[in-house]
Amino acid sequence: MRYSEEDKDRRVTQLRKGILELAVMGVLYHKRHYGYSLIRVLTESGSISLKEGTIYPILARLHRDGLVQSEWVESDQGPPRKYYGLTLQGRHLFVELSQEFDSLISLVKHDWPAEEIQDRTKKLLVKRR
Amino acid sequence: MTTYPEVVTKIIDDYMDRLKSQLQLVPVEDRNEFLREIQSHIYEAFQQQDAGNDEVTRILTVLRKVGEPAEVVADRLPEAIAGSASAWILPLRIVGALLIALFGIPLGLGGMAVLLGILAALAGVLISYYVLASVALLASVVLLTLGMSRLYQPELWDRLLAAGVIQMDVAVAQVVDRLSPYAQGNLLIFFAIVCAAAAVGMFWSGRYLVRGVSFVMVRVFGWIRQFGQHVWRRVQPYSAEFFAKLQRA
Repeated sequence: MRYSEEDKDRRVTQLRKGILELAVMGVLYHKRHYGYSLIRVLTESGSISLKEGTIYPILARLHRDGLVQSEWVESDQGPPRKYYGLTLQGRHLFVELSQEFDSLISLVKHDWPAEEIQDRTKKLLVKRR
Repeated sequence: MTTYPEVVTKIIDDYMDRLKSQLQLVPVEDRNEFLREIQSHIYEAFQQQDAGNDEVTRILTVLRKVGEPAEVVADRLPEAIAGSASAWILPLRIVGALLIALFGIPLGLGGMAVLLGILAALAGVLISYYVLASVALLASVVLLTLGMSRLYQPELWDRLLAAGVIQMDVAVAQVVDRLSPYAQGNLLIFFAIVCAAAAVGMFWSGRYLVRGVSFVMVRVFGWIRQFGQHVWRRVQPYSAEFFAKLQRA
């Protein structure tokens, strides 16, 4: 049975949503951003498409978890902008998560010898439990 | 000061009202912060829109990209915002806590006791099984010893009988007495082999029983652990908050 285009789109959306939080942390790891500029960075590569408003609840959740800090800054071009940056805790977590992400990418891409994949899969499964 | 043409202001106000209605459960402070941020975003995005288009097209494009209010809020509204909004639910929580205390805890403890009882019964079955297998093995050794002694040390058998160490039912004794000592010895050895075979069979097949019981136990303890972690995750923020308040006080 072939999958439909809709089914594929749904899965692609799910996949992107899954890594969106990590992508947000990745952008904030390098530089402070306000919501709109953060979205521009995320979407300019074309690999992530999202409803722009959905980024704010993610930022609020990261803020609640102490992973980002925020600050309202006056802008001479309009209303104040709320800038976000990773906290020290957020930076540490991002480094760990990105390593985990690299492992998953390598697993998906089959970059390792078979026996190493088996070991890594076991480790990932154990961690997930 | 942010200024838009009147028609654009109207469209934005309408959008913000719809967004606000989706955030009714959120505390006023968090809600205003969220709305302020979205307003700031709309302004930035509106400025970046192609000035060649008319203003209505520009603002509609911006709002389409931001997403429908329900979509924006429902997709990933943080639990903290939603959760901290529930001060008005406090009485409901108290009633819930009372109900849990009155019914949930006794039922939960009862369920736990039943679960632990089942696990203990399973462990009992396993232990009994291996005790039985060990007894069969021991019986085979004893029977083999007796059979060999009947064959090669007949007088030892007689002495044991006379001392009352070996005792038999009268009917069995009558049957055994009809056999020659040689046949008696071989009969005992035959029963020893049967017992040994049964013991070996039980020990061999016992691994399946062990696997089955350990599978059930691992699953059940896994569920209990997960349930504990789940409860702890729910309770931990409140307890941390409580102790923080206590310290501040």
